[in-house]
Amino acid sequence: MILARIDGVIVSTVSHPSLPGCRSVICQPLDENGRDEGTPVLAIDPLGAGQHQRVLISTDGSRTREHVRDPKSPLRNMILAILDEPERETA
Amino acid sequence: MRLGHVIGRVTLSKQDPAFRGARFLIVQPLAKAQFAGAPMTPLAPGSSLVVYDNLGAGAGHIVGFVEGSEAAMPFDQPTPVDAFNAAIVDQISYNPPST
Repeated sequence: MILARIDGVIVSTVSHPSLPGCRSVICQPLDENGRDEGTPVLAIDPLGAGQHQRVLISTDGSRTREHVRDPKSPLRNMILAILDEPERETA
Repeated sequence: MRLGHVIGRVTLSKQDPAFRGARFLIVQPLAKAQFAGAPMTPLAPGSSLVVYDNLGAGAGHIVGFVEGSEAAMPFDQPTPVDAFNAAIVDQISYNPPST
């Protein structure tokens, strides 16, 4: 599983038949200190995570195939959880 | 799935029978700066890869490709493919937080 932050979305009209109907988001992987690590990856987002929210991504294709109900889907990355954000103190 | 920029095609002469009729693209994975709109240069740093395509993507398109064993899932017969074009991307909205 990858800890990542939602940094955007993509729009695609020509895709594998299992992809339409899923929201595809751009996720920036984060290291243990919350800093950006590497280049962004795409994941499908069944939970509706918001911009800049931190999420957990599974890279397990079998769970994703189950979710899209297509045993022949090539999709892999899927958002499994949205992290609780620490409360920010306002000055 | 990662995003990549299609920079060319591969045409095969002799091939494994599983590849008959297949289309292959040369794809340059997008660097972080290119998500934010930096120009797509065909010979950017980082290695390009060959991606199986059945959507009809061509040079200049941005595609979402899947790597690993999942890339072979869409095939009826076992096919030795480890990168598969899953989507042609029309639009990218990318807004990283300003730090």
